[in-house]
Amino acid sequence: MKCNFKLLGLCLAALTLLLACSEPPEIAAKASKRPDMAPYMGANDGFMTKDWTPGNRESWIDALNKRNENQNEYARLK
Amino acid sequence: MARMKFICDTERCIECNGCVTACKNENEVPWGVNRRRVVTVNDGIIGQEKSVSVSCMHCTDAPCMAVCPVDCFYRTDEGVVLHDKDICIGCGYCSLACPFGAPQFLSKGAFGVRSKMDKCTFCNGGPEENGSVEEFEKYGRNRLSEGKLPLCAEMCSTKALIAGDSEVITSIFTNRVTTREKNGHYPGSEAFGWSTAYGGPGTPGPTPTPGAQVPGAK
Repeated sequence: MKCNFKLLGLCLAALTLLLACSEPPEIAAKASKRPDMAPYMGANDGFMTKDWTPGNRESWIDALNKRNENQNEYARLK
Repeated sequence: MARMKFICDTERCIECNGCVTACKNENEVPWGVNRRRVVTVNDGIIGQEKSVSVSCMHCTDAPCMAVCPVDCFYRTDEGVVLHDKDICIGCGYCSLACPFGAPQFLSKGAFGVRSKMDKCTFCNGGPEENGSVEEFEKYGRNRLSEGKLPLCAEMCSTKALIAGDSEVITSIFTNRVTTREKNGHYPGSEAFGWSTAYGGPGTPGPTPTPGAQVPGAK
C-alpha cells in the first residue's frame, strides 16, 4: 500500500511537469501558420486594376501576363 | 499556372538604383533594411563592369525554408516564398542559408538585438488579409492582389529587371538574347541567379531560342 502511494505521487509529479511544458491555446494558435489569402481573390484597398475579376484565377493570370508584356519593348514597339 | 520569378539582365542594368528606391518607397521599408540592392562587380574595368539587382529570388527549393527552426516560411501557389512575422524569432539562420543575402534584420539596439526577419515579398504581402493595414505595416504592399507586378520591375527604366510568370519573362529574356546574337554582339545569356534559385547547382539557364524563330527579333 505504501508503495502504491509512492507510485501515485510520482505519477502526479510527472503529470504536473508535463502540464508545465504545455502552452496555452491562445499562444499555440498565434504561433501556428495561418492560411494566406490567394492574390487572385483581390484586395479591398481601392487600388485594384480594373481588367480582371476578383476570385477568377484565369482572368487574374491573363491580366498579369498582359501587364508583363509592358516590360517587353519589342512587343511595345510593334 | 503562374510561377512568379525575377530575371535581372546584367547587360542592361545601369546601377541607377531605381528598383531599390521604388521598393523602399512602395513598401515603406525602414531605414537600415534594403529588400533589394544593386551589386556591381569589376568596378571600373572597361567592358567588364556589370551590375545586378538582387533580392529574394523566391527559390523553388528555398534554403531559408529548410533551415528555419520555427517553420515560419510558406510558399504560395504562385511560387512566392513568404514568411509569417508572428512566428519568426529573428534567429538569423535564414540569412546564413540564403545564397543571395536576401533576409534582412533591423538592428534595434545594443548587444546585437535584432528585429524579426524582413525580405522581399514579391509585392505579395503576408498572411494577413490582402490589402489590409496590418499587412501593409508588417510586409508592405500587396500589389499582386491588386493585379499588378512588383514595383521594382515595373519601375526599371532599362527593363533590366523583369518580374512575372516564369514563362512570360523567359520569353522576353530569350528574345533579347537572340536579338543580340543576331546583331553580332555578346549575347549575355546568363540570367543572374536563375540556376541557383530555380534548379540547383549545374542547372542551365533559360535556353535562347534561335533568332529565326523569334518574331520581331532584329
